[in-house]
Amino acid sequence: MQGLVEILVLPLLGAATITAFKGLMPKRLPGIWASLLVAVSFILSIFQDRRVSQLAGSHHVITGVLWNWATGFGPAIHFRLYLDPLSAVWLLIITGVGALIHIYSIGYMHDDAGEPRFFAYLNFFIFSMLLLVLAGNLVVLLIGWALVGLASYFLIGFWYDRPTAVAAAKKAFVMNTLGDVGILLGLALLYIHYHGVGYQHLFAIFTHAKPGSAFFEWTALLLYIGAMAKSAQFPLHMWLADAMEGPTPVSALIHAATMVTAGVYLMARLYPLLRLAPVTHELIGVIGAFTAIFAASIAFFQQDIKKVLAYSTLSQLGYMFLGIGVSAYTASVFHFMTHAFFKATLFLAAGSVIHGLAGEQDLGQMGGLWKKMPWTMGSFLVATLAISGIPPFSGYFSKEAILGQAFNSGHYILWAIGVFTAGMTAFYMFRLFFLTFTGKPRNEHLHEHAHEAPLVMTIPVVILGVLSLIGGAFGGWLNRWLSPAFHQYAGGSAAALESGPLFGTILTVGLAVVAFLVAYWLYVKRDTAPKAGTDKAPGVWMLKAWGMDSAWMTVVVNPLKMLGTALLTVERGILAGVVGIASGVQAWASDLAPIQTGYVRRYALSIMVGVVALLAYYLIRIGFIS
Amino acid sequence: MFLVWLMAVPLAGAIATLIAPKEVSKAIAAITSLVGLVGYAGLLFISRAGIDWAWIPQWGIRFHLVSDGLSLFLLGLSAVLFVVAVFASDAHAGRAYYFWLLVLSFSVVGLFAAVDLFVFYVFWEVLLIPVFFLLTGWSGERGKKAAMKWLIMNLVGSFFMLVGVVALAVIHNQNGGGLTFEISQLSGMSMSAGVASWLFFAFLVAFAIKAPLWPLHGWMPDAYGESPAPVTAIISGVLSKAGIYGILRVMIPIFMPQFREYQTLLLIVATAGLVYGALMALRQQDMKMVTAYGSLSHMAMMALGIFSLTSVGLLGTTFYMVAHGLMVGGLFLVLGMLENRTGTRTIQDMAGLNRSAPRLAAYFLFFVLGTLGLPGLPGFAGEYMIIQGLIASHVVFAVIAGFILIVAAWYMLRVFQAVMQGPARTTAIKDLWSRQVAWLVPLAGLVILIGIWPAGITAHAVPSLYHAMHFALGKGGVH
Repeated sequence: MQGLVEILVLPLLGAATITAFKGLMPKRLPGIWASLLVAVSFILSIFQDRRVSQLAGSHHVITGVLWNWATGFGPAIHFRLYLDPLSAVWLLIITGVGALIHIYSIGYMHDDAGEPRFFAYLNFFIFSMLLLVLAGNLVVLLIGWALVGLASYFLIGFWYDRPTAVAAAKKAFVMNTLGDVGILLGLALLYIHYHGVGYQHLFAIFTHAKPGSAFFEWTALLLYIGAMAKSAQFPLHMWLADAMEGPTPVSALIHAATMVTAGVYLMARLYPLLRLAPVTHELIGVIGAFTAIFAASIAFFQQDIKKVLAYSTLSQLGYMFLGIGVSAYTASVFHFMTHAFFKATLFLAAGSVIHGLAGEQDLGQMGGLWKKMPWTMGSFLVATLAISGIPPFSGYFSKEAILGQAFNSGHYILWAIGVFTAGMTAFYMFRLFFLTFTGKPRNEHLHEHAHEAPLVMTIPVVILGVLSLIGGAFGGWLNRWLSPAFHQYAGGSAAALESGPLFGTILTVGLAVVAFLVAYWLYVKRDTAPKAGTDKAPGVWMLKAWGMDSAWMTVVVNPLKMLGTALLTVERGILAGVVGIASGVQAWASDLAPIQTGYVRRYALSIMVGVVALLAYYLIRIGFIS
Repeated sequence: MFLVWLMAVPLAGAIATLIAPKEVSKAIAAITSLVGLVGYAGLLFISRAGIDWAWIPQWGIRFHLVSDGLSLFLLGLSAVLFVVAVFASDAHAGRAYYFWLLVLSFSVVGLFAAVDLFVFYVFWEVLLIPVFFLLTGWSGERGKKAAMKWLIMNLVGSFFMLVGVVALAVIHNQNGGGLTFEISQLSGMSMSAGVASWLFFAFLVAFAIKAPLWPLHGWMPDAYGESPAPVTAIISGVLSKAGIYGILRVMIPIFMPQFREYQTLLLIVATAGLVYGALMALRQQDMKMVTAYGSLSHMAMMALGIFSLTSVGLLGTTFYMVAHGLMVGGLFLVLGMLENRTGTRTIQDMAGLNRSAPRLAAYFLFFVLGTLGLPGLPGFAGEYMIIQGLIASHVVFAVIAGFILIVAAWYMLRVFQAVMQGPARTTAIKDLWSRQVAWLVPLAGLVILIGIWPAGITAHAVPSLYHAMHFALGKGGVH
């Protein structure tokens, strides 16, 4: 227990001290201090994870109650912390990748006036995310869940002078509130039926329950809505693309590696519930697969380096949910881990490119950067190979694990979508790579001044690049590590990693290689312009993300605004009418009682008369005056 | 006796402001409210204090005050908000302002602690007077209009209540129980269903006007708009709770059968208010009005908690009253500082103020997040309990309430972002002065404490709630 509290409190301490003393801190100190605290949290996390694995018996859990959160309407809801092998994986990634991104940010943010504020927010995010994964019940989880949303709101809107950033922050917050409400309703339902919201309490009950009742379907669906919003599953995905308004390290940490995978965590955590809700469970896989291919199609022709990566994140999250949907829990966690490595690499390398080009994000202004920034290019290439699923890079193993299990469990359509999406991924990622780093520079002036990032940025990128290369090797370890967590309760029997059919692997890798060749032919051999293919259907729709934003505006946002305006008009009308009547009465009263002056007495008098009449009526009715 | 002291202190302070030179009026009010707060802290340790004097024996009226779990934290809320409001008030507001503020503080203590219905009614009426003068004296013609609306609507409500109070005592007497106004005596007494329904609605109208609950909120826009920020904070933070508290304290023990009979109707009307307030808040251009209509929506949320007729819903309302009072009070005070600095309340006239006033923006955002129900801050705990109660009774209202939480995030962030963020269009404003930070910090700290430890309140409120409900239900009736 003690160890967990310290892991949590250190980043919170960082956020508090930086906020309180930022005026006194010399330049760079906030960044160093924040990074140091997260690094210490990482080391403590390793110790705690070792403790968990060394626990005797089959239940590898450290848990304890800090205080009672609420009491009085049934069994108390505790403020409970909980560490098991599943949360341990997230713990390591959050603090480990988090520390690297903190260090990178020291370089990235060094000339921004809001640097201390940035690190305070970043530390606050780490605290919230740790609270989310260390929660021992759904209420504490929801608190962490909302606080990461708040941290995300802070950081998307970090440059609050920009109207686009401010709007994006609000959109992210409101859409995530929708998810919060889903979880709120789901957990309230669980409390009402089972008098508790603790994981151990609920899962012990679930293990003995029969699947298929409407209650379980509704509960699982509501909790899944929370996961959908946080992990940007279709149709709650639009906020994530807009979230790229935040500084790039934020996109890497929050909107790629950690926070957006909270939904995957929640669903993997709730595997005993998913067993009981087969329809919702199936739906998770279907929406996951759809999100994967839908987002990949949008990423095809994007012009902004970060937008491509944002939609690829959506697509990869779709894979993770596909894995959840086919009960491939370990494979989903595995893909979360490799994705954290390669997507953090991609974003940070993209950040180095943007940094080197003085803030330029448009692919039309890039090209030929490989000589100028070799380390960045190398890391980006490794991560591109990883996300494209080329063996032996990390993404290959985790994606194969998900697809193989989709096939083995008989989800052939989902499997086929996943395989096809893998090909699309390889195309748009290599398009991105080629347009950024190879060919002729499309903007000579920018290219002239481009430079490799300083070491404080390059070293974290290279470390993450190496992890993207070798991350696949962690699969066996992860399988053994998670096994006790997924065997503790009923529902995890298919959780372990499986390998799919050989022809599936050959097909997936073959498609990726073909896509690579097409991209090579188009963007290296023929030197096609980035904008090509986006002026007519379907390219123009793909570029515009299939018009989902305006659909939301038309169907939800504008009708609510119009209703509000209508009510406003009506109320003003009514109030004006009442005032009109009142002044009429007043005029009448002043005729009757010319001696009376002063508003109060006049009003009071007329009211008195009315009320005495009313009183008399009442008394007659209830039989006092007969 | 402790409660007498709590009431005597503001009264003594009020008299002192009349005698002392007007330069020290604020100092007197500050000291008085601080002494009140310290006294309240003492009350927390005693927990259950009370006095019970025969006042007008021939009519069975007893001056009976109790601080139990229902009233204890509302007394605390008003003790805290009065301190904050005095500190936030203009030093040159004048003798009369502080006099009426202290009189108001006195009557609020009496109202929240009274368990004799007649005493409750007396304080209910007394309270109208200081608020009337606080509204009328400080905003010119418009303030006079606001005060008048407040007085007229609340007088109408009061008369309804008076009818109810007298009728209940008389019926109790006719039943052979003797003449008494003691709520615990009146609860569960037999009445013909028709009479009970009439009386039920008489009380409900009175309480709904004070809260206010839709559609009886006609006085609200002007009163919230035209009063100085500290007074708005007191009205929205403390006095609005008097209406909800009245439903809990007076109506639940006496009218449980009527609550059951009309439950669906009550839930529908409260839900209409919930939606109405939120949608209105979405389209307001005046930042004080956004908060006012948001608050109207939240009052409806409290009513829903009661109308769920579940123990968790009632507990949620009890908790949410305190939480909402602290947060909306803080929010109105912050808005007041903004208005003082910019000279406007229209959100289009402001933008990008965060750059010149980052600390003010931080506290603004803090109270915005609190009011929109961010998990981890206390609004969430209240809303959670209320929604759980609604699920247990009528799930459709829980879903609508959940939907409104999303709209709340939308309208609250809209006003914050419009004022504080975006490209700076207006001239720079001064950030918070350190003496303003000095009272904002403890207020924010208290909000956070309640947010992460709601049990500190819920555990104490529960025995009184069950007490009140068991009068009405007999045993086993609560689910």
